[in-house]
Amino acid sequence: MAAPRYCPSCLSLASQTTTTLFRASTPRISPFTPPPQSLLQQPNQLRAASQNALKYRRKDVPASQKRKKARSTFLVPDLRNAIQFSLVEAMRYLRASEVGRPPTSSKYELHLRLRTPKNGAVVRNRLRLPHPVKTDLRICVIAPSDSPQGLAAKAAGAVIVGEEEIFLAIKEGRVEFDRCLCHTDSLALLQKANLGRILGPKGLMPSVKTNTVVKDVGASVREMAGASEYRERFGVVRMAIGQLGFSAEEMQRNIRAFVESVKRDMQGISDQTAKDLHEVVLSSTNGPGLSLNGSFSSGEDGGVGARDVSTL
Amino acid sequence: MVSLPQRMRKLQTKLLAIRLGSGAYVLPKDIKRIHMRFAPRIEGGHMGPRKFWHHELVRLKYHNPAVTMTVDRTARPEDAAVMSVHYTSSNPTLSSDSSAAGPAPVASTSTSSTLTETDANTTEDVRTIDMKHRTNSEILDELVRMTKAKIVEATAEEVEELRALEEQRVRGAKDSAKSLEVRARLKREKDLLEQARGEMAGQAA
Repeated sequence: MAAPRYCPSCLSLASQTTTTLFRASTPRISPFTPPPQSLLQQPNQLRAASQNALKYRRKDVPASQKRKKARSTFLVPDLRNAIQFSLVEAMRYLRASEVGRPPTSSKYELHLRLRTPKNGAVVRNRLRLPHPVKTDLRICVIAPSDSPQGLAAKAAGAVIVGEEEIFLAIKEGRVEFDRCLCHTDSLALLQKANLGRILGPKGLMPSVKTNTVVKDVGASVREMAGASEYRERFGVVRMAIGQLGFSAEEMQRNIRAFVESVKRDMQGISDQTAKDLHEVVLSSTNGPGLSLNGSFSSGEDGGVGARDVSTL
Repeated sequence: MVSLPQRMRKLQTKLLAIRLGSGAYVLPKDIKRIHMRFAPRIEGGHMGPRKFWHHELVRLKYHNPAVTMTVDRTARPEDAAVMSVHYTSSNPTLSSDSSAAGPAPVASTSTSSTLTETDANTTEDVRTIDMKHRTNSEILDELVRMTKAKIVEATAEEVEELRALEEQRVRGAKDSAKSLEVRARLKREKDLLEQARGEMAGQAA
């Protein structure tokens, strides 16, 4: 959108449609509203168009346009002035904010603020939490249902296992799963069934490239069901770390596992970029973000213990 | 909003709002569950329960974390909006004089409290409050009257903090208005310059 147009004669804000009439005319300065000094000087100078005047025109750039040296690391707050909470206190506030919501729908999330240079390597990895957050992932496995592979898949927790019956169901339109794996032996059958039209746009088509065509389906199902992925964005690593229904002990275990995993990743890339864990913030879907001070519970909490916080 | 002091101020405001305010009561120890059932939309008198859920229930939950509080929003608009308060009376022999049977049900003026005994082993009182077409403060008053809950008063430090935060807000609003003026003036000058430059370039060409 163009910058607002000002009427040249009275220097008031004019509408877009009427200014075309005035474009060709020279700006006449009205005697009633004194224009700003800068405007007065420049048009006269340019109108004079003397080469000398142009040559000696002041060239200093206003301070806002001077090139600022960009910071090379992300800013981190000074935590001495921060209000921090123990895990139990934080969970008490977050549970209160989430009162009445279904216990599997609201999630706790953890934000790890890192002290890191801006253009370095980023932390990115998958992790299996001790208490997985999203457990209702429905996995479908394409393998003969009576083969050992099919049985292993069912045992590992796949929702649908089979071959022809799955193809039929998908062709009918009943896609009742979130992920699909395929055993290497059944790949030929899968290609023949021509389901790419339906599963492809959903991102569910098993293929070698996405590691969804596997030999050991049991292990893959287990791995797929549990793993949560995290990556560092702009110096912060965020991940869902629990459901509202988790108890304080479960949350503690999850948080420990996550922080340990991120620390290990940071050590791994420490030769290229120096990374450092600076702040840990716990939040939830509908609650505020509370900076944690590392302790499980503080003494003076009005007698609220971990058990109280763990009831829904 | 990145700077730490701003973040802390905003956080403190929010936390104080959870700790204090309407609904900040400590319930007696024998209440074990509060359950609310109302419709997902407000038509039919369900606005009071919904506001109660968002404001008062949050503070009640903070001060009584051990009490299970659930909300069921699957009722139809024409159904009743009901809050049921479940008491425990673990020892049946004591139930006659325990305060769970409590605030004289006979003398109670509200016509909507019912006393039910569910099990022979654990007598469980369930008292209900009708929430339909009532504001959230009325519902709160009814609940407090029924359960004899104790109000949570702001401590001296909290009062002090609230006052400081309020002062800061007022000061911030004034500063914001002043700097807005300055910025608007600078922007106008800049725009005028740009426009003039554009016209000059058009003329020179």
